[in-house]
Amino acid sequence: MKHNLAEIEARILHEISEASTNDELERVRIKYLGKKGEISALLKHIGNLSPEQRPELGAAVNTLRNKVTHRIAQRKDELDTQALEESLRRDTIDVSLPGEVFEVGGLHPLTKSLREIISILSSMGFTVYESREAETDEMNFVKLNVPHGHPARDMQETFYLTDNALMRTHTSPGQIRGMLAMDGRLPVRFIVPGRVYRRDQTDASHHPVFHQVEGLAIHVDVTVKQLRGVISALMNRFFGQEVTVRLRPSYFPFTEPSCEVDISCVFCKGDGCSVCGGSGYLEVAGAGMVHPQVLRNGGYDPDEVSGFAFGFGLDRLAMLKHGIDDIRLLYGNDKRFLSQFRGI
Amino acid sequence: MKVPWTWLNEYVDLPWETQEAADRLTMAGLCVEEIRYEKLDISSVVSAKILDVKPHPTKPGQKIGLVDTGTGEFQIVSGAPGFAKGNIILVALPGATLPGGLKIEPRGLDGVVSQGMAVCSNELLNGQPPRPFEDIILLPPGTALGVSAGQLFEIDDWVMELDLTINYSHCLGILGVAMEAAALAKRPLKLPKVLEAWSWAGTYGSIKPESYDEGAPDFKIDLPEPELCPRYVGKIVENVRFAYSPVNIERRLQLAGQRPLNLVVDVTNYVMLETGQPLHAFDADRIAGNTIIVRSSKPGETILTLDDAERELPENTILITDASGPIGVAGVMGGNTTEVTEDTKRVLIESAYFDPLTVRLASQKLKLRTEAALRFEKGVDPTAQAAVAERAADLIARFSGGTPVSGYAETNHLNVEPKRIVLHMRTVERLLGETFSPATCREILERINFQVEESNADTQEAIAVTVPPRRVDIHEEVDLVEEVARHYGYDSFGTGDLSKAVPGGLTDPDLLCVDRIRDFLVSHGGLECITNSLVNPEHLACLGWESDDPRGNPVRLKHPLSSEESVLRTSLLPGLIGVAASNIRFGIQGLFIWETGRVFFPAADRLPIETRQIGLVSYGRLKPKTWLGGPEESGFYRMKGVVDSLMDLLGISDVSYLPKAGMPFHPGRSAKIVANMSTVGEIGDLHPVCLKHLDIPVPVTACWLSLEALLAVVKPKEYASLSKFMPVERDLAVIVPEEVSGGDVIDSIRKVGRHLASVILFDIWRKPPVPEGHKSLAFRLLYQPQDKTLTEEELAEDRERILEELRQRYNAVLRS
Ligand SMILES: [Zn+2]
Repeated sequence: MKHNLAEIEARILHEISEASTNDELERVRIKYLGKKGEISALLKHIGNLSPEQRPELGAAVNTLRNKVTHRIAQRKDELDTQALEESLRRDTIDVSLPGEVFEVGGLHPLTKSLREIISILSSMGFTVYESREAETDEMNFVKLNVPHGHPARDMQETFYLTDNALMRTHTSPGQIRGMLAMDGRLPVRFIVPGRVYRRDQTDASHHPVFHQVEGLAIHVDVTVKQLRGVISALMNRFFGQEVTVRLRPSYFPFTEPSCEVDISCVFCKGDGCSVCGGSGYLEVAGAGMVHPQVLRNGGYDPDEVSGFAFGFGLDRLAMLKHGIDDIRLLYGNDKRFLSQFRGI
Repeated sequence: MKVPWTWLNEYVDLPWETQEAADRLTMAGLCVEEIRYEKLDISSVVSAKILDVKPHPTKPGQKIGLVDTGTGEFQIVSGAPGFAKGNIILVALPGATLPGGLKIEPRGLDGVVSQGMAVCSNELLNGQPPRPFEDIILLPPGTALGVSAGQLFEIDDWVMELDLTINYSHCLGILGVAMEAAALAKRPLKLPKVLEAWSWAGTYGSIKPESYDEGAPDFKIDLPEPELCPRYVGKIVENVRFAYSPVNIERRLQLAGQRPLNLVVDVTNYVMLETGQPLHAFDADRIAGNTIIVRSSKPGETILTLDDAERELPENTILITDASGPIGVAGVMGGNTTEVTEDTKRVLIESAYFDPLTVRLASQKLKLRTEAALRFEKGVDPTAQAAVAERAADLIARFSGGTPVSGYAETNHLNVEPKRIVLHMRTVERLLGETFSPATCREILERINFQVEESNADTQEAIAVTVPPRRVDIHEEVDLVEEVARHYGYDSFGTGDLSKAVPGGLTDPDLLCVDRIRDFLVSHGGLECITNSLVNPEHLACLGWESDDPRGNPVRLKHPLSSEESVLRTSLLPGLIGVAASNIRFGIQGLFIWETGRVFFPAADRLPIETRQIGLVSYGRLKPKTWLGGPEESGFYRMKGVVDSLMDLLGISDVSYLPKAGMPFHPGRSAKIVANMSTVGEIGDLHPVCLKHLDIPVPVTACWLSLEALLAVVKPKEYASLSKFMPVERDLAVIVPEEVSGGDVIDSIRKVGRHLASVILFDIWRKPPVPEGHKSLAFRLLYQPQDKTLTEEELAEDRERILEELRQRYNAVLRS
C-alpha cells in the first residue's frame, strides 16, 4: 500500500506539471481531489482498515493530499504568471509612434510680460486700475502739469479726436483717475497698464500704438529710496537676473524730482554691446516723485503725503526679455512669431 | 545741443577725460547722448613766412612768392591781398590734403610753377575756394614756422551731444553746461571778461558794472506790447568792416552745428551758443527812423525774410518793425531789408526777452524751429540782455576793428524780483528717504550759484534759498529737492522697501475673469493677437458696415498719419481678419486667433464710448491628419463649440443662437448669440462678398463677444450636492422633416425630460432608410436622478413623454 502511494504521488505530480491551462489543471484537481477523486477514494478505503494500520496509512494519504493541493496551487500560480506574461506580450505597442497632439494656443508676448509684471507688483501690494484710452486734453495734459503751449507737449505727438479729446499719449492720466477713484484713501498703490498712442511713423522701434505700465504709490512716507526698491525688485524678477538699477536725473512735468530708470544691460551685463549701444545700460522707464500739483489734482495734500510714479514701456520690456529687435513683429501677429511664445 | 570739448574747457578746467565728464553730466541730468571725435582730413598744411614777392609776369593780380617753412623754401603763386612780404601765412605743401579729399600738387600758371597753395579759412575747413572778399589766413607775427594747422588751431576736437530735457534751459549755452560741470568738479568757473564784469553768473543775474559808461546812443526802442516783449536792448557798433571770423571761431561754430557766414552774424551765433541768449544783428543804417518797435502782427501782414521769401505771418507773431514796417520775426528770422552785408558799417545788436509761448506758437506755425526760437520758448535769463549784447559788441570790435558806441538803447518793463524759496530738511527727507543737513544742501546749492541763508536760526531745520533768474525751471520747494538730489547723486542713496500696509480698493474684479477667458482660449488652441486700434475706414466698409451701422461710423482722428490708420476700431474683427489675410499670404495653412481689447463709438459732446470685446477668427486646417485621425478643420461648428465651452466655463447656461447675423456674416451660416435675453455677440462664416473685397481666398469663420455683456451675466457657480444614485444612459433616435432645427429638438428634449443631466446629439443620418426630405437625429440621454434609482418603467415613461412632445411639435417619428 505504502509502495503504491509513492507511485500514485509520482503520477499525480506529473499530471499537474503537464497541465498547460487552468482548465486542464482543474480537471486534474477534480480527478484526484474531487469528491469522487482518487485521493478521496483512498481516504474512504483507510476507514475500512484495522485500527493498527489506520494511523500510519492515514497520515501518509493526508500528506499526499496536502502535497497535491499545494502543488496544484503552485501550478496555478505558474500558469497565471505565464498567462499574464503572454497578455503583456500581446498588448505591447510601438511607443515610438507619435501621440495625439493637442493644439494649444498662446498668449501674446505683451500679455505674458504684463502678467509677470502684475504678478510681481501685486506681491508688493499694487492693484490694477484700468483707465480709458480716449482721454480729455485736461486729463492727459493739464492735470499732469502740462498746460496748453507747454513745451513738453512737443515731446509727445498727439492724436487728437476733437479740440479737447485725444488718444492718451501715456498711461499717466490713469494716475489722476485712479487717485480720484481712491477718494483720498491711503495708501494708494496701483498700476495702470494699457495702450497709448503717439503720432510716430512706424519703424523698428516706433509704432503709433504701444503699451505702457504706469505705477503709482502714495503714502505718508513714500520716498525715492522706495521707488528704487520697487523698481529693483521688479526688474530682478522680471528678467530673472540681478540687474543694477540706475536713476538718472531727467524731466517730466508731473514728477519732481524726476529720473530716467536705466538698468544694467541684460545682454552684456554692463560690458557694452549693440543692444545697449555700448553704454552697458538700458533705458526702461521714466519715474519720479509725484509733483505736488499732481497730488493736489488727485485730491491729496502734498504737505501730508508723498508719492512716486513710474512708467515702463511694456513693448520695450517684452522685446528685451525675448530678444525681439523690431517692434513691428509685436503688432504683425504672424503665426510663426506668435507660436514661439506658447511656452512658459 | 553740441558742446565742443575745448570750448567747454575754456570756461572750466575739467579734471576728467571726455567720457568721464559725459558720465558725470549725464548722471546730473544733462544727458550726454554721444561723444564724437570730429576730425578734418588735413595734412602738410604748415605756417610759413613770405620771404619775397614779385608780380606774375603775365597774370595781372597774381604774385609769385618765396616762402620759408623753416625746413625748406617753396615757390607759391597767389593773388590774395595778404600775400605780401614778411607775412606769416598757412601753406599747403606739395602732397597736402584738405577736407573734401582735395589734394595739393605743384601746378603751372602761365609758365610759373606754384609748388603749393596759400590757404584761406574756407579752404582749410571746407576744402572750398575762397568766399567773396576772403583773404588767406594771416598768422600773428612771431608765429613759429613749419607748425601744422592742427597745432595752430583747434581743428580736431571731441564734441559732446547733449539731449537736454526742457527744464534745463539754463544749459542751452555752453557756459551753462560749464557752470554745471564746474559745480560737479568743484572747480571755478572762468567767465569772459565782459560777462565777469556784469556778474553774469551771479545769484541775482547780470548787474550793470559800476564803472559802466552809459553813453547816449541815438536809437529808440518802443515796446507797445510789454506782455509780448518786455525787454529789448539795442547795442550799436560803428565802423564795422566786413570780415570773416577767425579760424577758431568758424571751427567752433562748425563743431557746434552752425554754418559760419560772416563775422557779425557769426558773433551773434557764437555768443548765443555761449550764453544761451539769442541775438540778432541788423544793419543799423538800414533801419528806418532809428527806431525799433516790437509789436504783434496784423492779419495778412507779410515779411521778406533772409532767405528771400515773402512769408505771410500768422496772427499774433511778435514782429520787430521800424518806421517802414516789419524787419524781423522775433526769435525766428531776420528780415531781408536790414540784413548785415559786405557794405554794413553800423550794426545794431538785438538782445531781447520775448514771451516764450508766443515765440513757440509762431515758430511752429511758420515751421521754422530755429536755434533762437528753441531758446526763447524755454525762457531765457531775463536779466542778461545787456550783458550779452556787450559781450557780442566786444567780440565784433575785437575781430573787426569796429567801435562799440557807449551805452545801449533799451526799454525794459521787466522787474525781476529774486525768487526766494524755503527748503525744509523734512521735505528733503520725506521725498528722498535720506537725511540731509542744512550744511550739505547749502554747499550743493551754492555751487550752482544759488544763494543760501539759514532761515530759522533756532531750529536749523530749513534754509532760505535765492534762485538765480536764469533758473526759470525752479518754482517751488520740490524743485530744490531735485537740485540737491541730482548734484548729490541719485545713486548715492540706497534702496528702501515699501511700508507693509497693503492697500485695499481699486481691485479690478474683472481682471481674474478676463484672464480666465484668455487661458481658456489658449487651452483651446487660440493664439492671442494684439492688433492696431487705429484702422482703415475702407476695411470697415469692406465688412459691409455702412453709415447705417454704428460700426460704420467710427471716431476719426483729426490728423491721422495715413488713411490706413485714421479711425478708431469699432470691432476687433477688421484687425483679426487682417491678421488672417496676412497669414494666408505667408502660406500659413490654418489659424485660430483671438484678441481682447477696446472698441470705440462716438458720443455726442463727450469722450468716445469704450467697451471691451473678444474677437475670434479662424480659417483652414487647424490640425493635420495623422495616423490617429483628423484632420481638424476650422469652421462654424468648431468655433461654436469654443463659444459653448466658454459659456459653460463662465457659468452662463441660458444661451441661444438666433439664425442670421448681419454683415460681415454669411446670412445662412451665422447666428446672433443671446444670453440672458440680451445679444452678447455674433458668430458665423464670413460673407463671400466680404472675402472677395478683402481678397481672401479661403473661408473664414469669425465671432465677436461683448466682454462687458458677458461679465455682466457671469455668475459664480453655486455648489450642487452630489447624487448617491447611479446615472443611466439611454439612446433615442427620431426622424424629423429636414427644416426642423436640431437645436429646437434638443431644447424640447431638455424641457420635457426628467432627471436629464445631458443630451448629446451623436448622429445625423439623411440616407435610406430615412425618407427624402427628412433626417434622423440620434441622441444619447444621460439620466442622473438626485433622490432615487430610476426604474425601467420610469425610464419608459420619460421616453414616451419626450416622443409625444417631438411628435406634436416636429412631426417626429421614432426611428427603430
Ligand atoms: Zn549691452
